[in-house]
Amino acid sequence: MSPGVLLTLAAAGLATGIVAGPWLRRTWLVLTIASTVAALGAALLVLFGPPANGWEWRGAFPLGGEPLHLRLDGVSALILALLAVIGGTGSVYASEYWPDRHYPVSAPPGRAWWCGLVLSMGLVLVSSNGLHFLIAWEAFAVCAYYLITLDRARREVRRAGWLYLVASHAGTVCLFAFFSTLAARTGSWDLGPMREQAGVAPLFWLMLVGFSVKAGAFPLHVWLPSAHANAPSHVSAIMSGVAIKMGVYGIVRFSGWLPIPDLAGWIVLGAGAVGALFGIAFALAQNDLKRLLAYCSVENIGVIWIGLGAALLAATHGDAAWGRLALAGALLHVWNHGLFKALLFLGAGSVLHATGTREMSRLGGLWRAMPWTATCFALGSVAVAGLPPLNGFVSEWLIYLGLFEGASNHGPPAWAAMPAAIMMAMAGALALASFAKAAAVVFLGAARTQAATHAHECGPAMRGAMLALAVVCLAIGLAPVVFWPVVSCAASVWHPAWNFATPSAPLATLGSLHLVLAIAGVAAAAWLWWMARVRGLRRALTWDCGYVAPTPRMQYTSGSFAGIGAGWFASLLQTERRVQRPRGLLPAAALRVERVPETVLERVIQPLGAGIIRVSTAVRRLQHGHIQSYILYIVAGLATLAVIVLLGGKP
Amino acid sequence: MNSLLDLLLRLALWLLLAPLLPGIINKVKAWVAGRRGPPVLQLYYDLARLWRKGVVMSTLASPGFVAGPALAWVAVAGAALLLPLGPAGAALSFRGDVLLVIYLLALARFGTAWAALETGSAFEGMGAAREVSYAVLTEAAIIAAVLALSVQTGTVSLATMLAPSAGAGAVLLAAGLFTVLLAENCRVPFDDPNTHLELTMIHEVMVLDHSGPLLAVILHGASMKLLFFALLLTQAVTPIGGWSRPVAYMMLAGGVFAVTVGVGLVESLLARFAFRRVPLLLTTAFLLCLFALLMAWKGGAL
Repeated sequence: MSPGVLLTLAAAGLATGIVAGPWLRRTWLVLTIASTVAALGAALLVLFGPPANGWEWRGAFPLGGEPLHLRLDGVSALILALLAVIGGTGSVYASEYWPDRHYPVSAPPGRAWWCGLVLSMGLVLVSSNGLHFLIAWEAFAVCAYYLITLDRARREVRRAGWLYLVASHAGTVCLFAFFSTLAARTGSWDLGPMREQAGVAPLFWLMLVGFSVKAGAFPLHVWLPSAHANAPSHVSAIMSGVAIKMGVYGIVRFSGWLPIPDLAGWIVLGAGAVGALFGIAFALAQNDLKRLLAYCSVENIGVIWIGLGAALLAATHGDAAWGRLALAGALLHVWNHGLFKALLFLGAGSVLHATGTREMSRLGGLWRAMPWTATCFALGSVAVAGLPPLNGFVSEWLIYLGLFEGASNHGPPAWAAMPAAIMMAMAGALALASFAKAAAVVFLGAARTQAATHAHECGPAMRGAMLALAVVCLAIGLAPVVFWPVVSCAASVWHPAWNFATPSAPLATLGSLHLVLAIAGVAAAAWLWWMARVRGLRRALTWDCGYVAPTPRMQYTSGSFAGIGAGWFASLLQTERRVQRPRGLLPAAALRVERVPETVLERVIQPLGAGIIRVSTAVRRLQHGHIQSYILYIVAGLATLAVIVLLGGKP
Repeated sequence: MNSLLDLLLRLALWLLLAPLLPGIINKVKAWVAGRRGPPVLQLYYDLARLWRKGVVMSTLASPGFVAGPALAWVAVAGAALLLPLGPAGAALSFRGDVLLVIYLLALARFGTAWAALETGSAFEGMGAAREVSYAVLTEAAIIAAVLALSVQTGTVSLATMLAPSAGAGAVLLAAGLFTVLLAENCRVPFDDPNTHLELTMIHEVMVLDHSGPLLAVILHGASMKLLFFALLLTQAVTPIGGWSRPVAYMMLAGGVFAVTVGVGLVESLLARFAFRRVPLLLTTAFLLCLFALLMAWKGGAL
């Protein structure tokens, strides 16, 4: 079957899902899964098919005054495959996580919006006409808004949804300007490669800002933490796994088509390096599990930006070979981050499902009640920390390799590559700290509250969705070379002159080493466990230096664990503290409350907004409805003009 | 067949030689203090004894409590096998192996921290928090050092990076890497391997609840890591590639011995630093490596 047929089937299935979803739960699930499988098939046909073909279709009849033009090439197929995988697993998860009997009001429309979101994102990916792109983009933003605010009764959910909608439209304004100016300059809304038209080069910046808002790149990420934290977890998974990747898609797409300004690589690389470090610093300081995951997305977008920026730098500095490695790493990281972040959000969702709280310091010891979730979350943590032998390391390794070779090439780009490599290493170490903290505080030790004591494992659908994602993460880690055609297909669309036929890095060697490492690790753990059993295994209370009655509250909390690292970023994080010290001989209550604010939102954007509103309110006093005063304004204006003319100035 | 034999020989070498280093350090410390000290082979006896003992596990611990040390040991052993040994080269050498080695050490850190946090003990939480936090600075220093070598030689493979000397920045690199060695292996002035019961420990406090074969694996992994860093430091600084085989092996052995004695001397002459000064010292190490990187950059441009 051709990609076109499969895509039509997928679109028809999703459209039916929108209509039928609210009433027919099972039909909806079957339709969604079938459509995502069809979409995945179409994407894989393009990715693994004969090179540089893709699929293109031009319709005869116009829509909104513009002829239909659809295209599925390497870049869009890469994201479409990710969308299909997470859209499918997410729907399976949602059928158990957000059931009708618990959410009778929001679950039925939620199913329709889910299909709507997947469909609109798919349309964004295939549409190759500026106008249709914008329509699909807007539909995608609206569907995402309704999904985020499914649980509308809660105030913070409404606030998060509102913030998302406003930020999203601020980005869309840039995109409107971008697409309409592009259409005016090129004379057509049709999109395609336009590298040789130097006149459209300045539009690169408009495009970069517009898509960066959606991608949640630092410091335009203001909407991301609260939206991801407050949305239902399957929605967080698709938002973090795919929706922010639509911003990445936009930038990859148009940086491949537009002429690249000389500064572009420097700016993208620099923004990525800073964003990676700052994003993960915020993540480390969070006490809310889903907010930590959300900030970690900011970091990973930074990592993708580093790779993309290096590729742009290489492209503007004589098509250097190391740019290919960085580009391949960035594109693979789009997949990897989508997969492990969706896995982690689904894991966080089943913790929330089981205990009713996202506050890490109220959890603990969940591994006993939820072994499957704990295992999946641990796997996701290793992947997101970029550790071998999982997929996160593969893509980060490619980006590092690109940066190292760029640095050892001694050109001007080395001045960007060297600091970026160091900052990426620091971000990696902070990610390790963040996820050691998150996984350990939630799943290890003793339960800190009643809620955590009474936790229960999630059902087969939620478990199955997590396991499926975990298996894909493992597969990319252990056999990266199998996935190389995917990356090479997308990358050769981005820069047709670059040859990606064979892996330009020893990926096969890395993959086999990962396999050896995984087998040796499992074997060593099994052997050590057996050894411990043979030598005699005794269980006893945790040894706390002779203290006989430890309580769960004495455990290290998420705040104390992150204390050292967060202290280094104190001026960035601006942590708010309320301390009431114990006083007197027999102290009664003492307390210490810490809150990490959304620094960019609360310290920069909100004061700015408040200032604008204050000025506007002051200016508004001029408009009060008294006609005699308006006449006075006119007379005063005319008099001023007359004076200017009399003094010899030219009006 | 030949390569398998080579691999086994290498592994045996690492397994058997690594526990010697802590013995030498302790002997140097005893010698400076005018004591006789424990025998050089003390760690071998300890490991053999621990291996035969039973295990007491916390009631809270999951199977990860055992898997963590096992994974950490495998990761360190993997990093060790990828490190070239002078003219003998590495078990496997490829472009970008240096990054895999650095991240294998990070994996080992994750395994150890995970196992520590299994117990729910506040002590072990403290140790793990310190370990992963200070690693941010050591990681930056290591990457800067490796970048310096990479820029110096124009390659991203350990075998070719370590063969020549580090050039003009060798002294800076040696000082930076030596500080990183002390921090990563939890030696004075960052940590005191002699005490277990203080609140101020990093590594030692993470393994409070481990016993028997688990502790043996952790101690052996730690000694391999020490040997790893000593070898890395020696090869990074000396022009080991330019000599004949016997001389190069002598240089390696001499370098490792010198580093070990150096650690012992530092431990005898310095007190452990206050915790607030640890990040400062690590930042200094990072800056030293960064200046080595700049020197390598300058040297290559000339």
